[in-house]
Amino acid sequence: MTASPAQALATAARAVAASKIYGSGDTEVRALDAIDVDFEQGRFTAIMGPSGSGKSTLMHCMAGLDTVTSGQVIIGDTDLTTLSEKDLTLLRRDNVGFVFQAYNLVPTLTAIENITLPMDLAGSAGDTAWIDEVVGATGLTDRVKHRPNELSGGQQQRVAVARALAGRPQIIFADEPTGNVDSNTAGEILGFMRSAVDQMGQTIVMVTHDPVAASYADRVVFLVDGKIVDELADPTPQTIRDHMTRLGA
Amino acid sequence: MFKLALRSLIDKKLRFALTTLVVVIGVMFVVGSFTLTDSLRSTFAGLAEDIAEGADLTVRVDQSFGGDFDRATVPAAVAERIAGVEGVGRVQPEVAAINVFIIDGDGEPIRPPGPPALGFSFNPGAFFITEGRQPAAPGEFAADTATAAGNGLRVGETYEINGPLNAEPFELVGVFNFGAPDSHTGLGQTMAAFELHEAQRFFGTQDGYQEIGVLVSAGSEIPEVQARLAAELGDGYSVVTAEVAAAEQEEDFNEVVDIFNTILLVFAFIAVFVSTFIINNTFQIIVGQRVREIGLWRAIGATPRQVSRSVITEAAIVGVVSTAIGIGLGLVLALVLRAILDLIGFPLPPGPLTLQPRTVVLAMVVGLGVTTISSIGPAVKARRISPVAALTQDFRLGATGLRRRLIAGGAAFAAGVVALAAGMTGGLDTTPRFVLLGVGAVLAFVGINIVSPVFARPAASVLGRPVRALFGMPGRLASDNAARSPRRTASTAGALMIGLALMGLAAVVGESLKKTFVNIIENAVEADYYIQSAATGFGPPAGFPAQVADEIEALDGIDSVVRIQFAFGGLSVDSEPRDIVATDMALADSHFDSQVSSGDIAGGDPLTALALHSDSATSLGVVVGDTVEATFPDNQTETLTLVAVYEDAAIYGNWLIDGALWDRHFNRNDLAFASVRVAGLSGAADESQQAALLASSRAAIDDVIERYPTVKVEDKAEFRQTQEAQITSFIRVIEVLIGLSFVIALIGIINTLSLSVFERTHEIGLLRSVGMTRRQLRRSIYWEALIVAVFGGLLGVTVGTVFGVATTLALPDSFVQVVAVPWLDLVVFVAISAVAGLLAAILPAVRAGRMNILDAISHE
Repeated sequence: MTASPAQALATAARAVAASKIYGSGDTEVRALDAIDVDFEQGRFTAIMGPSGSGKSTLMHCMAGLDTVTSGQVIIGDTDLTTLSEKDLTLLRRDNVGFVFQAYNLVPTLTAIENITLPMDLAGSAGDTAWIDEVVGATGLTDRVKHRPNELSGGQQQRVAVARALAGRPQIIFADEPTGNVDSNTAGEILGFMRSAVDQMGQTIVMVTHDPVAASYADRVVFLVDGKIVDELADPTPQTIRDHMTRLGA
Repeated sequence: MFKLALRSLIDKKLRFALTTLVVVIGVMFVVGSFTLTDSLRSTFAGLAEDIAEGADLTVRVDQSFGGDFDRATVPAAVAERIAGVEGVGRVQPEVAAINVFIIDGDGEPIRPPGPPALGFSFNPGAFFITEGRQPAAPGEFAADTATAAGNGLRVGETYEINGPLNAEPFELVGVFNFGAPDSHTGLGQTMAAFELHEAQRFFGTQDGYQEIGVLVSAGSEIPEVQARLAAELGDGYSVVTAEVAAAEQEEDFNEVVDIFNTILLVFAFIAVFVSTFIINNTFQIIVGQRVREIGLWRAIGATPRQVSRSVITEAAIVGVVSTAIGIGLGLVLALVLRAILDLIGFPLPPGPLTLQPRTVVLAMVVGLGVTTISSIGPAVKARRISPVAALTQDFRLGATGLRRRLIAGGAAFAAGVVALAAGMTGGLDTTPRFVLLGVGAVLAFVGINIVSPVFARPAASVLGRPVRALFGMPGRLASDNAARSPRRTASTAGALMIGLALMGLAAVVGESLKKTFVNIIENAVEADYYIQSAATGFGPPAGFPAQVADEIEALDGIDSVVRIQFAFGGLSVDSEPRDIVATDMALADSHFDSQVSSGDIAGGDPLTALALHSDSATSLGVVVGDTVEATFPDNQTETLTLVAVYEDAAIYGNWLIDGALWDRHFNRNDLAFASVRVAGLSGAADESQQAALLASSRAAIDDVIERYPTVKVEDKAEFRQTQEAQITSFIRVIEVLIGLSFVIALIGIINTLSLSVFERTHEIGLLRSVGMTRRQLRRSIYWEALIVAVFGGLLGVTVGTVFGVATTLALPDSFVQVVAVPWLDLVVFVAISAVAGLLAAILPAVRAGRMNILDAISHE
């Protein structure tokens, strides 16, 4: 999926009237409240919002890790709400990439093995040239035989991003990927993600509460109480902070 | 801290249940075996009293060694002297014999599967007629009520009875209760009673009596009569009261009960020992997982002492709960074992189960002791956890270094081997020998277990290689996970190892026995047919009527028959009882080549000749031509001359005398074994003529055997087959019993895997989120279990084979000469442990598969 301007505005994933409701009656909590949102291909979107706003839930549902109570979640042409557990797993393996806050790597596997893990699980060799390119982009070519505990936090997260990129998924979801590292390291990771979008045409959706992190994105979506309340294109840390202040977060 | 320990248990119900179950099994076996054997003892005490009840005093010949039925008889003249003693009321002479089989109406011998088939002279003091009358004339007999009812014997009918000498028809004239007028006291034995002189004739005891019961006359005091009788009879006779007779009888029974108890306790011990590994492992992992929690306690002010105490308290709670459950289930087990005994032919009179305080104390020692002791190591590790652990992400418990492991494990193993060697070779009594062997085995296993983590990683990666190659990424993860914590892998495998090592040991010794036997049959046996009792099972070998041999000898086409009789402790030399075989020494070597190294078995006077296996000759320091002073169970001493020394003890044992000498000192006439040589085989023109000779003689022998349902004839091939089958089935029984430790090991694997899976929750969430299917996840856990189980299996089989070969070498040549390793069996054992591993993985794998990905991901 190489990037071309014509495809730039096609949708990689979208939610249609997606709701996620926990409990019922008095204890009912609407984590997502009839959300409609599109994530365009080849763009880097940040989801922001105060704690409990539903931003993580949205990401989990979009990624097929969790299911919506009503509405639709679509990745590419596939409606996730129609898939079985097994098909969801295969969809994640083949079409979705993940980066979590911490401990993204399997400790018994080396960096390169972690990167090719989804392909190995699928029993396919993957695109070796592409994997080499991804590894090259991480700047860790000489450390790929190391195990996670021999890598720094930033290096581990870059490996995690590389793993997400390696399978050339439709979309990558990142959940606070810099939540656990210092600001220098965060810049290193976010820069790598940014270049993945710019140079490889990858689609990335990232949940964060950090305005600086969000400023690496093309677009910021603000969530409050399970609803999308605002969005911002080409953000800077300052414009994000202003928006957040206005939203009372 | 108690509250914390309790909370920790409640939170992890499954872990708690599995750990408890492991201890329960051990406690259950301890309680079950003691309760059953205590109950047996009290039953037997009652039975012994019943048996002795018939007479106030019993007179018999002194006996310092040998079997009860080999006791010399009291001559008839002595009975008359007894009757003349003042105060003696009635005199009741008695004779008895074993291997007296009644043939039922269908022509089938009534064969108690374990207890003996007994013949008696009718004793009105202990036998109470319930139907018909007591036997009073030749050709009459009475049977006990249990045997008669159980086999449809009817008063007035005539039945064939196989005695020690021959088979004869007798009319059943009465049925009796033994022990008490209104209830029969029996343990499954069959009893045929005859008129006194008829019994003497039929049993071949000539005119002597085995015992003479005395009832004192009214107005006489038993002790006074006892003293008078002792004075009258002088040395060589003993006069004992009913109490003493009962106590002796009880002691005899208790010997059997003790053996039974020992066997059960050995298995209980194995169970307890295996569970120690598992509990230790479980607590080790639990502490490892709670490092941060414990660090937090320490940070907020818990002392190291409180921390370790909470770990031990948690173990103690497990101990208390499992002891309580174990005692309850132990009682159930005792009932089940009793039912099984009943089923295989040892009916026990129903009585209350005896739960002695000693049993409860032992159960607590085992249940509480095992859990608390196994938790000490982990508790010590827990107290060393610093408060910093709570704050550090990657704090891990310190592992014992490789070097220290090798040294400590090697030392324990070496000490164990020394103890085992001392136990096997030292001239010790049974109890210290068993203690030494037990301690040795424990030390050796502990040593292996300490060292085995050193091998766990390389072994897991070697075993993991095919798994990786075959099963892709799930296989790869499985193999890595198995190698991840060598200590855990090793001690999980260790639980399996113990059972497999014992099975391997039994298999190697058994196979060696079989091979030894086959070698003998192939090389040493010259005879064509073998005659022995058709009884099967695990009881002592039953005898058969001597007349069978006489009749076969008289057939046309038979060259010779060699008769073999056997007595445990039939001879005393240097005050030590020796097991002896009696045979026809003139013919012995022509039927079995016992590899005579000096002298000639046939070359002496049958009444003074003795032949010895070289081991016995060496230890006695005698050579051919020397004389040996030997005392027989009838207290007579003879000077025997050593005529030959032989090397193969398989058939003739260590001590061999002639049948003529046997007849002088033993009243027992039944044969243990006889072999037959067919005439004219060497002169036969060709093989077909040989075959014809063999076939015609076989037909003639079969005709004889047909009239003796308790006897069977076998040719070489059949003989070999049945002997092999017997050894095999014996080994299978042992293996099944050891298989119990498998169940415990299985629980151990479930426990360890569950905990490992729990520990890897986050990782599993991660794998699932990047596209591992549930099936792939489950498989990776299956393969991990497979690797651990095969590691344990290989370790166990290796250890078992080494111990088995050592044992075989240490056993005397008369018992086993060839070392043979049953490779196929060993492979099967490893396969069984692999299957056990896979079964154990089902529960953890399914649980792992069901984990919610999001919860798992957010789990630290």
